[in-house]
Amino acid sequence: MKGLIVQPVPVTAYSVISNCGLGNHVLYQALNSNKTGLAELSLLDVPFETQVGEISVDLPEIQQSLSEYDSRNSRVALAALNYQKDGLLVAIESAKARYGSERIGVIIGTSTSGLYETEIAYQMLLEKGQMPDDFHFLTRHAYQATPRLLQKQLQLQGPCFAISTACSSGAKAIAAGQRLINHDVCDAVLVGGADTLCRLTLSGFNSLELVSPEFCQPMDQNRNGINIGEAAALLLLEKSSGQFDHLPHVLSVGESSDAYHMSSPDPDGKGAVTAMNNALQLADLQPADIDYLNLHATATQINDSVEAKAVHEVFKEAVLCSGSKGITGHTLGAAGAVEAIVCLLALKYQIVPGTCGLEQIDQEFRCQVVKDSIVSKKLQIVMSNSFGFGGNNASLIMSKNHER
Amino acid sequence: MKDKLLIKSAVCYCSDMIKLQDFGLRGIEIDKQLMPANIRRRASLTTKMAVSVATEACLQAEINPSELPSVFASVGGEIQVTDVLCRTLADSQAMVSPTQFHNSVHNTTAGYWGILHGCHHATTAIAAVDDTFAMALLEVWTQLQQQPGDCLLVCYDEIWPEYLAPPIGKLAFATALVLSNDGQKSAKGSVLCPQIAPEYSDLSDDLNDMIDLSLIASVIPLLQAIQHSPALALIPLSRNQPQWSTWFKKLT
Repeated sequence: MKGLIVQPVPVTAYSVISNCGLGNHVLYQALNSNKTGLAELSLLDVPFETQVGEISVDLPEIQQSLSEYDSRNSRVALAALNYQKDGLLVAIESAKARYGSERIGVIIGTSTSGLYETEIAYQMLLEKGQMPDDFHFLTRHAYQATPRLLQKQLQLQGPCFAISTACSSGAKAIAAGQRLINHDVCDAVLVGGADTLCRLTLSGFNSLELVSPEFCQPMDQNRNGINIGEAAALLLLEKSSGQFDHLPHVLSVGESSDAYHMSSPDPDGKGAVTAMNNALQLADLQPADIDYLNLHATATQINDSVEAKAVHEVFKEAVLCSGSKGITGHTLGAAGAVEAIVCLLALKYQIVPGTCGLEQIDQEFRCQVVKDSIVSKKLQIVMSNSFGFGGNNASLIMSKNHER
Repeated sequence: MKDKLLIKSAVCYCSDMIKLQDFGLRGIEIDKQLMPANIRRRASLTTKMAVSVATEACLQAEINPSELPSVFASVGGEIQVTDVLCRTLADSQAMVSPTQFHNSVHNTTAGYWGILHGCHHATTAIAAVDDTFAMALLEVWTQLQQQPGDCLLVCYDEIWPEYLAPPIGKLAFATALVLSNDGQKSAKGSVLCPQIAPEYSDLSDDLNDMIDLSLIASVIPLLQAIQHSPALALIPLSRNQPQWSTWFKKLT
């Protein structure tokens, strides 16, 4: 790993839709006030109690010519793409004019893709022995459906694929996008994550006994599981240019594998430590350079305690950290991208977000977990952790602007 | 030259070996004994197939799997596991199996691969319909530009339930390659960064028929090039338009 340097890439526009609503500003307001957006599930019925981060704003329709791509997952992503105030579409059109459509890639992380629609189709399959006529496996169910929809909608022709490494997907899409720009395959890449509520993830996590019936409590001594959320978060990465120096930059993404268990983290936290250290090394930074750490902090017993241990090993007690899943829920394949935007908002408004749901920090944890959001004036470099099933880890580092 | 990827090994599997032979290729068999019983009991045929080609590719390249970062790519991934879960959920409000649930994620094979070999390197799992192999090769290429060395590429799809996307999924197909941009050890040829082909090259009817049954069969032209080793050839990696391709070069 010695001597490795990756080039920072500017984030020229971004937008997010979550249970907090549409656009960056509503997520910022929720972070600033540290108020939960979690509520009872209304999209579908499940035979157990839980709270969820469900999107309640109206979603845009998919245009007729792309109707085979229609899914809740794609609609959610399209909502973020189209939200005018965040200017993503304008930035992409401007990038197209500058670089050409074949130089712009689309890489989206997802764990669910169009599963919500697939589950409805399976009800018909079991009742009538066949799939409904409007079931389109490759364009609705399969992982690449949402990035393909975005690529076609935007008439882009660069590389296009989905990354699906469970809860690290969104962060890994940012890593892949940075590499495509660093090595001159692309001049711009639309990256991010999109994940939507469905029976499979709700019931699956419930069967693993990881779902909390109440509002989740990340890093709390009484934490008892996750609340699942849904969201899309999109970021436009471009190649460096003086005109973008004042904008936030992706510095690096460190990646690693636990090689321990499919759904439980290595209790020693080695994989998490390696991801954080790799990110620091790739960006040529020291732990003391990180001003704020957005934790993965899902609010399960084991995840939070392993992460606390790993954070202490890398940073001792020197870094301010917090988790945002008490506001948005755990948005699974989108989480890494949503929390990248949490970090961008922290940098933009110079706040350290709080940890909604946290009342009493677990006494075993030796790290500085922030309970209520605090105004700071010195956030320059921040990190965000994402850890997924299969022991798939990613740590993202971003900076406020070109300066380090 | 770091922008050239040496192909240290290339292995494939197909559920219809006769069809594979029609393309002049030989596949390997699935070896279920590569996994200890506790993993073998839980892992799907998809995972066993992918692990079989990946293991053989590492053996042929004489590389310890624990030393390799990896890129896993598949269109349907753990579709048979997902199918069972979707049936369970549609049939009743029954509980799904927790093991089946965590085995339904796209990076299941990537996860088990790491566990089997104690590999702590980065691994990813991607999907891109017709371009799945092309995008996997591109991902390997950019990873090796960032961190020169070796990387494992595994691309696979199992037989799918017939009502999902027929005829796609009638054939299982898997391939694994060990690629390197560090050193000049013996290799079967080299490829450059995948690019959009300047002109579309038509695939043979036989190949199109094969890709109709498994999108992963898009790798066949590259496997054939590795075998026949032309001095220099532009190899199509997809039948999609625009078409991804790569320059294959024989090593001299």
